[in-house]
Amino acid sequence: MWKEENGKTTFTGGKEAYQDAARIAEQCSLFTEDCEEECMTDDPRSCYNCRYRRWTKESFVCMKGAGQ
Amino acid sequence: MNLFVCIDDTDNLESIGTGELLENMMREAAVRGFAQSGFVVRYQFLIDDAIAYTSHNSAMCCTAQTDDRAAFTAFCENYLRHNAAEGSDPGLCVLTDDEALDYTPLIAFGRLAQTQVLTKAQAYAAAKAFGADVHLSEHGGSGIGVIGALAGAGLRAGKAEGRIKGKLYPPMDRIEWTTAAFAAAYGVERFADEDGSEITENLTLRFELPTKLIYQSGKVTAVLIEKDGCHLPKPKIKKNKG
Repeated sequence: MWKEENGKTTFTGGKEAYQDAARIAEQCSLFTEDCEEECMTDDPRSCYNCRYRRWTKESFVCMKGAGQ
Repeated sequence: MNLFVCIDDTDNLESIGTGELLENMMREAAVRGFAQSGFVVRYQFLIDDAIAYTSHNSAMCCTAQTDDRAAFTAFCENYLRHNAAEGSDPGLCVLTDDEALDYTPLIAFGRLAQTQVLTKAQAYAAAKAFGADVHLSEHGGSGIGVIGALAGAGLRAGKAEGRIKGKLYPPMDRIEWTTAAFAAAYGVERFADEDGSEITENLTLRFELPTKLIYQSGKVTAVLIEKDGCHLPKPKIKKNKG
């Protein structure tokens, strides 16, 4: 679900892979929930709600490089 | 005097978010007698690698009422200077809230920020026509937060749609909620379906999860969805970013 490019770890699932984002976050020791207004899914634990994700045009970059 | 107050680029990966900083700032402004404020609306801007946002490129805007605009603005500047996160690029916009003003150029600037990469020079140029009705200032780093701050204030002045900060936790053990009761309890001004069409009928509601409100058509709005023959306030706005 990840690709490494130019030193960045990018999620390959895009912005609507809710189940994958929740599954990965469930196993990630670095997951930290972002502030409420920036969370975008109802899944309490999801990469989409993590403060260490940086949104890109197509998906997001894990700023901790820890998603894999 | 009524104002729009918008801040942007005040956070880093480890700090509190810009919305919380705005709420804290306005809470302190109230305690110190500078201003009273309303709810906070979040505005999303363009996601593009050319923009140096922390993680989501959004700005936060609220309304404020003050008797001393100059003192209030100076308070906000000082607050941001001391409380914005290290490494951030904070910007502040304080804009007159007056229906007699034609906000068209600022609304257009806000819309552009949602689709194009803009510069600080463009922000200052857009603000210039508003003279003393707009204050735009940088408070550290590159100061590029002035772009989002002005864009957010413009969008709010134009009653553009945005998410309202915070969640509601209505007691779910209440026997029956109606839209009228929900509106009275939480200040909801409007109900709409997912397409934005207004719902005026007094419907029975069911709650399953904490509820988010949005600012739509210039009103505090609850979006309702239908599920198993019941109406539920939509708990979270799942949307594509950028």
